[in-house]
Amino acid sequence: MQDKIKYFLKQSWLLIAASFFFGLLIAVTNASLKERIDYNLNVYKYNKAAKVVLPEADNFEEVAESVSVKTNSGKELTTSVKKAVDSDGNALGWAFICEGKGFADKVQLLVIVDNDFERMIGYGVLYSIETVKYGDEIRFPEFMNQFKGAPAGGFQLSKTGDKTIIDSEIVAITGATITSQAVVDMFNAFIPQVKEQMQEKGLI
Amino acid sequence: MDNNSQSSIGLYKNTFLAGLWNENPVFRLMLGMCPTLAVTGAVKPAFTMGCCVIFVLICSNIVVSLMRNLLKPHLRIMMFTLTIATFVTIADLILKAFLPDMSDALGPYVPLIIVNCIIICRAEACASKNGMFISIIDAIGMGLGFTLTLCVLASIRELLATGAIFEVQILSLKESGGWFVPLAAFSMPIGAFVTLGLMLGLINLVSKKRS
Amino acid sequence: MDTFTTMLLAFISLVLVNNLVFTKFLGICPYLGVSGRIDMAFGMGLAVTFVVMLSGTLTWLIDHLILIGTPLEVTRYVCFILVIAGAVQLVEMYVRKFFPPLYDSLGIFLPLITTNCAILGLCLFINLWEIDNLLEAVVRSFGAGVGFTMAICIMAGIRENLELADVPKCLRGVPITLITAGLLTLAFMGFSGMIK
Repeated sequence: MQDKIKYFLKQSWLLIAASFFFGLLIAVTNASLKERIDYNLNVYKYNKAAKVVLPEADNFEEVAESVSVKTNSGKELTTSVKKAVDSDGNALGWAFICEGKGFADKVQLLVIVDNDFERMIGYGVLYSIETVKYGDEIRFPEFMNQFKGAPAGGFQLSKTGDKTIIDSEIVAITGATITSQAVVDMFNAFIPQVKEQMQEKGLI
Repeated sequence: MDNNSQSSIGLYKNTFLAGLWNENPVFRLMLGMCPTLAVTGAVKPAFTMGCCVIFVLICSNIVVSLMRNLLKPHLRIMMFTLTIATFVTIADLILKAFLPDMSDALGPYVPLIIVNCIIICRAEACASKNGMFISIIDAIGMGLGFTLTLCVLASIRELLATGAIFEVQILSLKESGGWFVPLAAFSMPIGAFVTLGLMLGLINLVSKKRS
Repeated sequence: MDTFTTMLLAFISLVLVNNLVFTKFLGICPYLGVSGRIDMAFGMGLAVTFVVMLSGTLTWLIDHLILIGTPLEVTRYVCFILVIAGAVQLVEMYVRKFFPPLYDSLGIFLPLITTNCAILGLCLFINLWEIDNLLEAVVRSFGAGVGFTMAICIMAGIRENLELADVPKCLRGVPITLITAGLLTLAFMGFSGMIK
């Protein structure tokens, strides 16, 4: 028995020692960078997207910590609703994160709606790795502007139409129907459900 | 002694240059194909990827060459993967902390550096047999060769797909009054495979003419 | 949607629509290296399917039972690669004992399954897709393996015929294989959008 243990140690002491050493190395790096990574994940991207949609907003105050939403595929997701406030303290609208499955991978959007949840102010992209020149066009004004000021929720996707008219009809990106549909579905699922729960909580 | 240092400088130079052309990891050794194809849609992610690979390659070569005399043959591969995985994790953390946008764009291709054959191949072929200094030189040479290849491939694809290189518009697009109609196919998988295939063919042709 | 349909869709999605080789560029090295003969390609595909299923399931379990929600999450990649290396070792021993001819013909490519990006890639994607039940993780891993086997067998079939074709000298070997692979991805793009 003892011989076996000795043999085992002789063969693998380097592996064990190295594991400890490498573990320590990762721990140190992680400890020193954790703050920055968390900041990047939660604040930097949020603010970057929000600034594009609503440049007047000065601060986002957390109001409803978790609102749960059932997506079309039957998954239960939670999102937190924040109140957009300008530098004088006036409420500008509500912001929350939507998530859905696009063509390549998940798509994460930051949606901002007005104070009454009646009209959309716009959306910003938090995470998307859709194909450049196709699905990736959701980042660009041609598609994005169709939502600015449109009635919140109940969007319909059509293949052709006038992109400059602001209504519930959204004209899909040519060649990227899946991504366009994903965005529309996401809004149709999230906005009414979030609105309902906000009303239940008596916030609007 | 003089003679010795003279020849060792020559050795360093050769080791360094080997990675750039004669033993270029992508064109000659056919290693690390999957990042080569996957991240070369644009120059920026390709360049970032190249830098990550250089970092991991240097670190893992140093560690492997330091413990080369202690390695047990059958636990060798295990040791290599463990070392590489550690440094890739560190590279991933650094990327997440300082270049969050790039980290999103590369996605799972950063952790996939672990299984990039270049790194494990250099650990096996060079670092586990040579001293630390020459292993570092080898790592830099190979890493630069890989990065350059990635950038060349990415420039061709980005130029043809969007008319820009490193996000700087070079060809004027038709939609903004120019003449160039973007060939979106080059940003898709087919563009990757065909561009790399034709480039390899071109290199075969050139090196055959030379010899 | 009931469970069966979801699982079927997940399977088809990984075999045809999101085939790892054609859409995510994973597993290109063995794809170019082993796809010379169809019987070898099939053996390789089976070995990869087994490893990918085993490691996909194990890494999902490790991820969900141990890692998620703890500070240990940062060591995810190291854990994943160790599981894969272990699984490959297992397959290697099994094949050597029960199928010696296959073991001989695969040679160096068998231990190299460890560095097959398709396997680590799938483990990472399962984590990224936020799959939350074990069954789906198993089905998706299996689908990825089948998808890889299919891709490598199609390629081997084409390459066997390609040897009779008159290819320009400088394109012979890997270059023409890559171009063929490119055309194949184009064919597989036809499936995109079939499943959301």
